[in-house]
Formats: sequence, structure tokens, C-alpha cells
Amino acid sequence: MITIKELPDENLFTAGHTACPGCGVAMSIRNAIRVLGKDTSVYVPASCAVVFGTTFPYGAWKVPFFHTAFENTGACITGMQAAFEKKGKKVTAVGFAGDGGTYDIGLQSMSGAAERNEDVIYICLDNEAYMNTGIQRSGGTPFGAWTTTTPVGTKVQGNRRFKKNLGEIVAAHEIPYYATLSIGHPLDFIRKVEKAKNIKGFRFLHMFTPCIPGWKMDPAKTVEVTKRAVESGMWTLYEVENGEKKITFKPGKMKSVRDYLMMQGRFRHMSDEDIKKLQMWVCKKWNLHYKEKGAPEVCEIVPPEEHHAVTEEHREMHGP
Amino acid sequence: MFEVRFHGRGGQGAVMAAEALAEAAVIEGNYAVAFPFFGAERRGAPVLAFTRIDSKKIYSKTQVYSPDCVVVLDDSLLDTIDVVAGLKPGGSVVINSRDKPEDIDLGISVKTAVVDATSVALEILKAPITNTAILGAFARATGVIKLESLEEAIKRRFGEKLGEKVAERNSLAARTAYGRTVIGTSKGIKKLESKKQWLPKYQELPAGGSLIEGKTEAGLIGPGSFIENKVSGWATFRPLRDREKCTMCLLCWFYCPEGTIVRISDRGDLMTNYDYCKGCGVCANECPVDAIKMVRARA
Ligand SMILES: Cc1ncc(C[n+]2csc(CCOP(=O)(O)OP(=O)(O)O)c2C)c(N)n1
Ligand code: SF4
Ligand code: SF4
Ligand code: SF4
Ligand SMILES: [Mg+2]
Repeated sequence: MITIKELPDENLFTAGHTACPGCGVAMSIRNAIRVLGKDTSVYVPASCAVVFGTTFPYGAWKVPFFHTAFENTGACITGMQAAFEKKGKKVTAVGFAGDGGTYDIGLQSMSGAAERNEDVIYICLDNEAYMNTGIQRSGGTPFGAWTTTTPVGTKVQGNRRFKKNLGEIVAAHEIPYYATLSIGHPLDFIRKVEKAKNIKGFRFLHMFTPCIPGWKMDPAKTVEVTKRAVESGMWTLYEVENGEKKITFKPGKMKSVRDYLMMQGRFRHMSDEDIKKLQMWVCKKWNLHYKEKGAPEVCEIVPPEEHHAVTEEHREMHGP
Repeated sequence: MFEVRFHGRGGQGAVMAAEALAEAAVIEGNYAVAFPFFGAERRGAPVLAFTRIDSKKIYSKTQVYSPDCVVVLDDSLLDTIDVVAGLKPGGSVVINSRDKPEDIDLGISVKTAVVDATSVALEILKAPITNTAILGAFARATGVIKLESLEEAIKRRFGEKLGEKVAERNSLAARTAYGRTVIGTSKGIKKLESKKQWLPKYQELPAGGSLIEGKTEAGLIGPGSFIENKVSGWATFRPLRDREKCTMCLLCWFYCPEGTIVRISDRGDLMTNYDYCKGCGVCANECPVDAIKMVRARA
């Protein structure tokens, strides 16, 4: 295993890029490529990362870089890898797509590549909304979050749907490797990228990447907020290797989801009732992942009657 | 017609300032328009916004190329941008700066008003958002709008979006800055070379826009060339590391999103290159032994 000290000095994603101060995407990209190394070729679809990492004729990437459209990361890295194989080059094609580009618009292309078990690495930079175009909701946006398309009004307050379980969808393709990562857990992060690098077949790295304006938070807290996400159960660090799931880091004591929410302006409007709903969702997830009930003072609250995914709006539209 | 060009950085609220100014003009019975220049800019990157004010209807839809007044929300922009480009004769400049007008070199000698809007904002709003403070200085320097109309406009604009309390504080920021504004004349010594751009003929453009590492008259292009882009001006604060306290755990080096904390392995040391530090504060927040302090970037 590599430790922080053993990482190479060289920046393969150079300074001078134009991400917002404190950007969790930039932080994750820099360290991922640091571990993946020079023999990597990168594809980035439409997203923040394509804009702040490359503005013609400038680029931050010091490895070959390719960009076409938004929805085709799976197809593009497939093609790149095929070309390298044909030319006899030992290069890994790696796609860095956003959550919009993975949960929603790029899902079919990713699914195709996963189904064919292409020998590539797919990285999802999950900042939980379409940030590049000014913060619209995606399938990765959590319950309650404000975005410009899930505004906070008198009737409806923020996103009404729960974050889609992308991990299950990806793992259901029975690929060699799926893992969730957090930049606030460096050793786990490095180990997983390193592991993915050395496996053959379709590898999926799901990175939790805070966004400063999108989450309305202090830029200094990027790392802190990812730690809080893991401690509260909003984000779980695990991996699925050839169908076998393993938790890679379990927080000592479950923290209440409120602690996590209150660090971010996008959640600050949430009513006690909505926070409770989200807490129940987290507790259920905690139970599924860790095979144990969450902390008693956090999780032993009376659950609301309805199933977690059925909200009032849903009822209004579809009946009970 | 009175035309204003705002130079700011993403997140400083230049667009909101342009809008509030237009609203103040409308309150006084004039016509006004305000709009931003849209680019791919993130927080901290240079941005433009414009306001036009007239007693008649305004049909002009272009950017403002020859302003009557230029408003600069961040004086670090003066190092890289020719803010007075196209300024009308007799025009004026309003700058957020701690310097006196006489000490500011704009390349031409013009009427210049300064106010330390960042300090006003930090004092009153507890955040370095200088857009309302600088409008106070604008009102004082140009007399184009009255302070009362400006305060009314700020209350309307901000009240709607952010609530009464925030609106009230922003209005106070404008009033405070109005009082602290110093008016004088700038120096006109430096020659600001317009930033060289790589402008290849279409025959020289590589197929598909694909670039290899290269150097042109305008500097590096292609892979890794973003180091041409110095971003220190984005920072309000910057980190100072106490070598005595530092245990070389390397967490700051790992986390820095810019990669501007450089590790010099053979000397077992770290060095922060401020050219690329945006002052996010992550390094200071994460240092386990509190060896890093954030200080104001331009003292
Ligand atoms: C087909 C298509 N639809 C819409 C867009 C506009 N667009 C560009 S980037 C983007 C948002 C990307 O969101 P995400 O994938 O989550 O990445 P982020 O910017 O959040 O990192 C959108 C909608 C596009 N480029 N192509
Ligand atoms: S908007 Fe968010 S994801 Fe995009 S550069 Fe800024 S912090 Fe990073
Ligand atoms: S303040 Fe941010 S950009 Fe500057 S050195 Fe620290 S982590 Fe890097
Ligand atoms: S995080 Fe603190 S202790 Fe660790 S290397 Fe940086 S300054 Fe030194
Ligand atoms: Mg996104």
C-alpha cells in the first residue's frame, strides 16, 4: 500500500487551473491522477472539470486528455482503450465524469461499457448536482437539498427525492471493482485508486466531491465536510470486488445527520420533519451497510409512517 | 447616457452591484439596464458587469466599451487588466483599495476614488463581499445617484433575495463606504501591455483542436500550460506555515486543491507558491498541529 509520503512529487494536474477555491473535484482529480501516474489517458465530458481543467489553448493535465460531449464517457473510454490496445500501448483510459454525467445523462453509456467489462477506469466525481451550469438537481442530489431546480418555497422545500443508489446499479453489472471514496480519508482513497489501477476490466471509482458554491459552504471546510458525511452515514466507504462487498472504513460512532447538514447552506432551510425523514433514510442505509442499528440517540426515533421514498408530493400526484 | 463597467471576481457580487445601481437610477425616475458578461468563470476569476443609465429609453445592447465610470471591486485586478481601457475623457474610476488615489498607477492620470471596501465588508457583513460598499463610493465619486436612492435600491434588491436583515447591513455598508471614500487623481506611469494571446491562423490550428506541449509568443500552450495562469489575485487570505510547529505530515500538501504546496523531497521540506494559492484555507483547517495561519493576502 502507498502512504501519503510515498506519493510522487510531480503534479500531473498542474496549478493555475480555474476551479473555485476549495473545490473538492479539483482536490480529488489531482490525487487520483497522482496515484494513476503517467501511463494514463484521460477523458472528461462536459462538467466543471472540463472547464476548469482545460480552456483552449491551456490545459492543466500533463497526461493525454480528450473531450467530446456530455453523455458518452463510457463509450469514449472504450474507444480510447481499444485504440491503445490496437497500437500495443500500455495505457489506461480513465474517464472523470460528474454525477449529472453518470447518474443521469451518461448512465446508458456507462452501463454499456460496464456490461462489456471494458478494461477501463470510470471515475464519478459526485458533487450532487449539475454544478457547471449553475446548480441543477441530478439523480445524485440528496433529499432536502436546495438547487436552482429544487428551490425552497412555501409549499416545497428543496429536493423531494432521495439520492439514487448508484453503487447498487453499477455493482449489479458484476464488474471486477466498484468503490466509494472520500478525499477526507486519504489512505483509503489512495489504496482504492491504486487497487483499481492494478485490476483488469471495468473499474468504477465513486468519489464524494464537495462543491463550494453548490453546497453553499466555507471553502476551508471541504475536507471536514467529507469526514462529517462519512461519520453521519450520508456517505459510506466500501468496495465491491467481484461481487463481494466489504466496508473499508467504519466510523467509530454515528453522528447525527443534522451536524452534517448545518455545515452547508443548501440544507439550512430544512424543517425538523424533513431532517427526521432524512435521518431515517440514513439509519436504514447504516443498517444495510454495517449490519447494525445506528447510534441509539440518533436512530431510535419513531419513523414516519410512509415508506421513505414516498413523499407528500408523490402522494398528491399518484395517490397513496 | 452614463455607462459603467464593473471589474470584479466571481463571487464578489459585481452583477448584483450593476443591478442595484440600475435600480437606484430607476428609483430616481431614469431608465437603466444592467447585465453581466457571461464566461466560464468560477469564483475568484475576473468577471465583468455593466450598467447603463439614461433619461431616455435605452436601446444599446452591447457591452460597455467606453465607460464614463469604471468600478473595480478588487485592486489585484489592476496588475493584469487594463481597467481604464476605453474610459471616456473626463471619466472616473472607483477602486476598492487600501492605497491613496495618488499611489495608484492606472497608466493614465484620471479622477480616482478609493475606499477600503474589503475592510468595510469584513466589519459589517463579516464576509469579503464588497459589492454594496463599493456602490457607496460610486455614489460619492460620481454624484450620478443619491446615497438615499442607492440605499433604497439595495434594500429592495437584497431584501427580496436575502431578507431584511441582510439588506439593512448591506445598506449600512454602502453608507459607511460613502463616508470613507477618498477622491484624488491616479498616477499615469505604467504601460500595461495588453496580454499576449495565441491567435493561430486556421491553417495552423491542429486537427480537432488537439494540442501537444508547446510554446508560442504568448507563452505555453497544451498539456500543463495552465501554469501560465497566475491566480494569486483570487485570494483574500493566504496561509503562513510555522516551520517549527510543522511535523511534515504532508496532509496540507495532499489536500491543497491547487497543488501549490510543493514538496521538495530531497530537502524534506514544503514550499507554498503563492502565485497559485487561492486562499481557500483548507490547509490551515486540516493541519493537525495548527501550524498554518491564514492572513490577509494584500496587507
Ligand atoms: C447534451 C448536453 N446537455 C447539456 C449540456 C450542458 N451542460 C454542460 S456541463 C453540465 C452539467 C454537468 O453536471 P455534472 O455532470 O454533475 O458535472 P459538474 O459540473 O457538477 O462537475 C451541463 C448540463 C451539455 N454540454 N450537453
Ligand atoms: S462550481 Fe463546484 S465543482 Fe465547479 S469548480 Fe466550483 S467548487 Fe468545483
Ligand atoms: S490556502 Fe488553499 S490554495 Fe492556498 S495553499 Fe492552502 S490549500 Fe492551497
Ligand atoms: S498539515 Fe501542518 S503539520 Fe502537516 S505538513 Fe502541513 S503544515 Fe506541516
Ligand atoms: Mg455534478
